Amino acid sequence: MDLESNPETEVTVENGHTNVATAWIHGHSPRALLRSAFREDRFFLVLSVFIGVFSGLAVVCFRFAIDWARIYLLGSGAVLTPARMLLAPSLAGLVIGALVIHFFPATRGSGVNQTKAALYIFNGNIPFRTAIGKFITAALAIGSGHSLGPEDPSLQIGACLASLLGRKMRLSRDRMRLIAPVGAAAGLAAAFNAPISAVLFVIEEVIGRWTAGILGSVVLSAISSVVVMRWFLGSESLFRIPAVQLKNPTELIAYAVLGVVGGLASVAFASGITTFRPKCKALPRWTQYFQPAIAGLLLGVIAMLGAPQVMGAGYEYIDQAMHGQFTWQFLAILAGAKIVATLLSFVSGTPGGMFAPTLFIGAMLGASVGGAQHVLFPHLTGSAGTYALVGMGVLFAGFLRAPMTSVFMVLEVSGNYSIIVPVIIANTFAYVISRGLQPIAIFDVLTRQDGLELPSMEELREEDVLRVEDAMQPVGGPVLDGEKTLDQALAELNGAGPEEILVRMSPGGWNSVKQEQLRELSADGKGNSKLGSLLPIRQVPFLHPDHPLEMALRHVDRWPIVPVVSRADFRQLEGVVSQRTVLERYREFGEG
Amino acid sequence: MASPKLARYRLYLRQRPTLLVVMSIVAVIFFLAVTGLSRIYYRQREFLGNRWSTRGLADLNAKNFGAAVTEFRTALLYSRDDYSYQLNLAEALIGLKRTGEASAYLINLWDREPDNGVVNLELARIARQQTRTDEAIRYYHNAVYSAWPKGQEHRRREARLELIDLLLQIKDQGDAQAELIALAANVDDEPEMQPIIGRLFLRADDYEHALAAFRTALSQDRRDAEAMAGAGYAAFQLARYPLAQHYLEEAAAANPKDTQSAQLLQTTNAVLHMDPFRPKISSVDRSRIVMESFAAAGQRLNACPLPKGPAAPDGSAVSLSDEWNTLKPQVNALKRNPNLADAAMDLVFRIERQTSAVCGTPTGTDLALLLIAKLHEGS
Repeated sequence: MDLESNPETEVTVENGHTNVATAWIHGHSPRALLRSAFREDRFFLVLSVFIGVFSGLAVVCFRFAIDWARIYLLGSGAVLTPARMLLAPSLAGLVIGALVIHFFPATRGSGVNQTKAALYIFNGNIPFRTAIGKFITAALAIGSGHSLGPEDPSLQIGACLASLLGRKMRLSRDRMRLIAPVGAAAGLAAAFNAPISAVLFVIEEVIGRWTAGILGSVVLSAISSVVVMRWFLGSESLFRIPAVQLKNPTELIAYAVLGVVGGLASVAFASGITTFRPKCKALPRWTQYFQPAIAGLLLGVIAMLGAPQVMGAGYEYIDQAMHGQFTWQFLAILAGAKIVATLLSFVSGTPGGMFAPTLFIGAMLGASVGGAQHVLFPHLTGSAGTYALVGMGVLFAGFLRAPMTSVFMVLEVSGNYSIIVPVIIANTFAYVISRGLQPIAIFDVLTRQDGLELPSMEELREEDVLRVEDAMQPVGGPVLDGEKTLDQALAELNGAGPEEILVRMSPGGWNSVKQEQLRELSADGKGNSKLGSLLPIRQVPFLHPDHPLEMALRHVDRWPIVPVVSRADFRQLEGVVSQRTVLERYREFGEG
Repeated sequence: MASPKLARYRLYLRQRPTLLVVMSIVAVIFFLAVTGLSRIYYRQREFLGNRWSTRGLADLNAKNFGAAVTEFRTALLYSRDDYSYQLNLAEALIGLKRTGEASAYLINLWDREPDNGVVNLELARIARQQTRTDEAIRYYHNAVYSAWPKGQEHRRREARLELIDLLLQIKDQGDAQAELIALAANVDDEPEMQPIIGRLFLRADDYEHALAAFRTALSQDRRDAEAMAGAGYAAFQLARYPLAQHYLEEAAAANPKDTQSAQLLQTTNAVLHMDPFRPKISSVDRSRIVMESFAAAGQRLNACPLPKGPAAPDGSAVSLSDEWNTLKPQVNALKRNPNLADAAMDLVFRIERQTSAVCGTPTGTDLALLLIAKLHEGS
């Protein structure tokens, strides 16, 4: 029996009750049942859970590795000695430089673009070696104090593991393409302890589309990885969330100011990276051995000058900023120093992520703006913590250009929905300013600098979509009624009108007929018959004005004219489209 | 044949159910390995956390707050939610007068354990410092009824004493008295607490309970000069002058440097000496005292001239001075007319009351007369 047979045909009645499932199982052999259970779409969901588990375990190990690297390289104390500040990142930089050049060249950078490349270029294939390399080099870099974060590497490690599992399971090419984002979501969710944000980020920035099949797998993998991560590392968020409150609506102005400041900071940060990264890459190859070391040395100097907080991911300092432990002036200095430090680490090709530095800069900037506003307007009730939280979302929206994720990330991290209005306002300002001053998003610029041409999710989101109404033409002649007789129709035409004529059928639907066919039917003596009954039983497909124009392409090669009808009344004709009008519209659009 | 068999095994291995089983086994092994790693990881973190916390505690006890803050912060890196590390850090921050930061930690701790006495007491102290009185009182109340890790009764008492001090500071005598009565009931069997409670009762203007507390203290240590002075003061305020005289004499004798008691004793002696209505007094003595009092009132009137009094029923304004002058010749002949003593003393009392209202509390004989006036008020 065919596995795909309709279960409804197997209905039996037992004790007066319909039991579809039992009947279906009885009607199938065990082998068929097994085959059905392991059908690829279902198996993919099961595999997603395994991807989540493996990614979660890998991320837990990654966290251990970072912490151990930190303890052994920077010492176990919160106060670092000057020698360690200078030596740890620079010596680790030397090792990282050699490892990246000789063993793991694919581990440079954050890992988000590599995951996107796996989806769009390499059919989901990412060498497992990349995961090993990323694990070692990023742990060493972050643990030694380079100003980078563990989230993007976790994302890439998750994608690598997923790709490995997909290859071992011999998935089809379509599934293989999707498997890297599934692993990426798992890795990110575990690293950030925020499954919703991870799912949104992967959908928003990597896959770029919502479909039930992808969403199910991404959600399953993200949830299972977070469960595993929480099993080992606990469910606490990365920082203690302060009480969030918004008492006075006028305070929203303060958050708007934060959005503006955050937007400008995002542009400065992104411009620095996009300017200096290609310059560093263009330097002679031998310098690349030393670039991470020099970056580490300069980072140590920044730390020695009074800002050791910029070393590493810096979550503990985000926590401290949220609880008002720094003055607003120092917070502003820390935000600026972190931008410089991250710039140094990232453009030198040191493997590591941008998420944590982005959150750090945002939190410092937010708390600083909040503190300054409290000095200027003491009646404002928002705590430094609230501003820091909103600030994190602002940089996320402005720098990473993931507006949806930025809002949900703050909500998920804070667990407080009263913050949603300030976050939306501030993020909108930051996003608009960042987009206005830097039209191409940072990840897309980095991709292009690497010589790859991957689809830009932001450009896709913002792209003008052509609709049927853009190519629609008014009807060039009479529209016949299927209820009228052939003679009446011919009389109505009176020899005029276009060759192809639309016929409105009853009770609904459309058809078309050539004038010549009508005359032939009349010559056959069918003048008194209803026009609808004479036409072949085939319906002309119809469109609505708001349909994407690409939908018209499916029909215009088979039908000379396609009716465009109102959504309120399918018999009301708004216009028609033809192959010529559609192609003309596309040509005009392409010419700009 | 081996080759087809091997091929069949390979085929089985490539089947998805088989791969799923293999994947499950690998996942379990990976899971166990990470469990082992996590044990090592957490053991190391616990060790480091304890090490830094021990250093922090040593610095905290040595009042080296700056170092203690750094060390507890480091300890928290390894155990972010450790309650005792956070609490110790908050205490070190309070030591550095960084109450804002300390509050952040304490509020976090309070959210986790709202009935922790230490946290409530520290929050109360910070709120008091920042003159958020209502909040401070609430936290003090919490601290009084909270659970304390050790020495619960002692720590609760400490919290209550601070609460009483705050209530007295904001002049909420009623609530302070209520708290003091509750405190006194809890320390009935602790004589060393009685003088403290007695003093607080004095500050709360509850002289009856103050006297009782000092007497309890004296029943344990009859030579406690402080308790004698306190009892004397309380008895004085209760207008129990013979009792006050007894305690004040003993207090002054036990501690010659106690000028306050000596001064109070003087006033008490004067009251007892100048009271013409005390029992068992001869008419001669009474007349003498009335005459002395009348003379003293006249001097007081001269020193503190009063504005004209209310108009008499006949329309003429009669001042106390006029009254005094009118009565003076009769008082000089008091021995011949002892019935005049009541009228003379009534005038004396009125003069003392009104002059004290205008010119402030008097001293010496006038004070004694004023106190006698209060003593016989309404009689």
